[in-house]
Amino acid sequence: MSSEVSERVAEPMLVEDWERLTFRVNREAYRSPEIFARERVDVWLRTWLYLGHETEIPDVNDFKVRTIAGRPLIFCRDTEGQVRAWLNSCPHRGTVLCRETEGSQRRFQCFYHAWTFNNDGTVAAIPDDGAYEDIESLQKNMMLRAVPRLEIHEGYVFISFNPDVPPLLEHLGDAADYMTMIEQQHASGVTTLPGVQLYSVRGNWKLAVENAMDGYHFSPTHNTFVGYLRESGFAVTDDNQYAYNLGNGHSLLVLTGHGGRISMVWEPRFGEDERVRTEEHRAEMVERLGEERAHYIADESHILFVFPNLLLFDIEGLSIRQLEPVAPGHTDVRAWQLVPREEHPDSRALRMKTVVSFVGPGGLATPDDIEAYEAVQRGIEATRGAGDLDYSDMSRGMRDEVKGEQGRSIDEGAMRGFWRYWEEAVGGGLAVTGDRPASFLEGRDVR
Amino acid sequence: MTQADVRGSIEVAGRTITRGDIEDFLYAEADILDAWDYDGWFALFEEGARYEVPTTDYRGWSLHTGGSFVDDDYDLIKARVKRLKSRKAHAENPHSRTHRLISNVRLFPGEEEGTLRIRASFVAHRARDGQFDTYVGWYEHVVVPTDAGLKYRLRRTILGHEALPVGARLSFIL
Ligand code: FES
Ligand SMILES: [Fe+2]
Repeated sequence: MSSEVSERVAEPMLVEDWERLTFRVNREAYRSPEIFARERVDVWLRTWLYLGHETEIPDVNDFKVRTIAGRPLIFCRDTEGQVRAWLNSCPHRGTVLCRETEGSQRRFQCFYHAWTFNNDGTVAAIPDDGAYEDIESLQKNMMLRAVPRLEIHEGYVFISFNPDVPPLLEHLGDAADYMTMIEQQHASGVTTLPGVQLYSVRGNWKLAVENAMDGYHFSPTHNTFVGYLRESGFAVTDDNQYAYNLGNGHSLLVLTGHGGRISMVWEPRFGEDERVRTEEHRAEMVERLGEERAHYIADESHILFVFPNLLLFDIEGLSIRQLEPVAPGHTDVRAWQLVPREEHPDSRALRMKTVVSFVGPGGLATPDDIEAYEAVQRGIEATRGAGDLDYSDMSRGMRDEVKGEQGRSIDEGAMRGFWRYWEEAVGGGLAVTGDRPASFLEGRDVR
Repeated sequence: MTQADVRGSIEVAGRTITRGDIEDFLYAEADILDAWDYDGWFALFEEGARYEVPTTDYRGWSLHTGGSFVDDDYDLIKARVKRLKSRKAHAENPHSRTHRLISNVRLFPGEEEGTLRIRASFVAHRARDGQFDTYVGWYEHVVVPTDAGLKYRLRRTILGHEALPVGARLSFIL
């Protein structure tokens, strides 16, 4: 690293001032290769990471190949039905073992010297193994390398490269129940579908997180989409929409005014038949879950961020979005649609259409989000090295925070929570002036 | 759609449509799109038509049962056109410069009476924000000959990419 880089990074990453009610983020955080490298170690190799959904590999021997935190992995269900995450690298000399992206296989064979492994990790064959001194211990030592930790919550499979990470549920904390709420939306549960949106953006992964937690941008950035909703007979509002820090870097937006949700909140563009089905489904939910829980699940849209790489969009429909940082200014994004296992075909068709009309790089709204944070990535070059000017402002809503009022979705409180947690993990300095209000990290309990 | 019965012309609803007719139709559309004449583009669709872009893992399923990039019914095509004409379509303001090449055009009888299917290859280049992106893939369209010329019943763009590369979001028509 050049001395220029270390000097710049010596400025505090966050500057929080409770007298002037300002919160600022050092823009080096989005572009410094040094900070990116530090994130790899202090975030991505330390905590729990979202790997995939169990329903992506429903049957024994199913597998998907996926890179997480820059590491090629095999995500599979072995012949016994157990979900596994193997490093996709031959224990012999390191070759990528599985070069397909998905499929069904009991064994993985390395093409280089033809070593073969069962999908439970054991060695199936080492050709010409008579040349080794102690074949038994060789076979044991040459088992597939498992990702050190793997735990599943409501079908969401998480891994950690850190063997000493606390249990998954401890990490998920208050976020866990919002994942349960998604599973509870339908009596039959939910499942992922083929048709995965795979795309990359020219922006830092944290800009994608900020964008998802930023209700303030909705009206100006998505002006054309809001216009479309209005024309199709649906009122759009920013009222009664809140942001919550759920702890451990997780955050939540609760939205009530951003359009309808298939089988939850009807709107005119969905048509009469869907209105009837929505009402029936709602009655079934009340029966199954009680009025209050059904209300929290059905009447609000949620955008849940699970630190550091999972976003759950419970909006027009259900989408899982996974972030994979590749470089400071390059992020790979993967998005799956989650649907009820059992659903009327007309609702399903409507759901797929409605979801992608908004979400994804070909929708009527997400391209504007991507435009926004790619423009940030380009724009922040202007203040590089400019000391005090090289900060982004995230103060919006601090005034209400000191009054003890719940942060709104159109404020920046969820981002502040994310950044404080990030700073704790990555370091770089947090300069605080004045006293933080006692209430500033309040979560939300709907259990 | 890789059939052996490729023909230079096809009989549809009592008319003879040649590969030249289809090529002219596709080339004219490419000009319309590269010139950002979105009203002109919308006029190429019959009422009730669809515009689809499946995801890169597409294996031929119905877009109504899986995820996709674009799954527009006629109303959504209309909304997309309206949006792209607006100065508030930030992802395309300023507009991208695009340049399309279309090749390997073939025609097949349509499944529905009075329709024909087109398969063609495309390469589209897009310049924007100092970046230059390339998109490649196939068209698998369904068109109907009408008195006002050929019209789309289905306009489907299938990407040849493993994933949309960095910066290559589909904010314009592909
Ligand atoms: S590297 Fe895989 S068998 Fe040799
Ligand atoms: Fe947005």
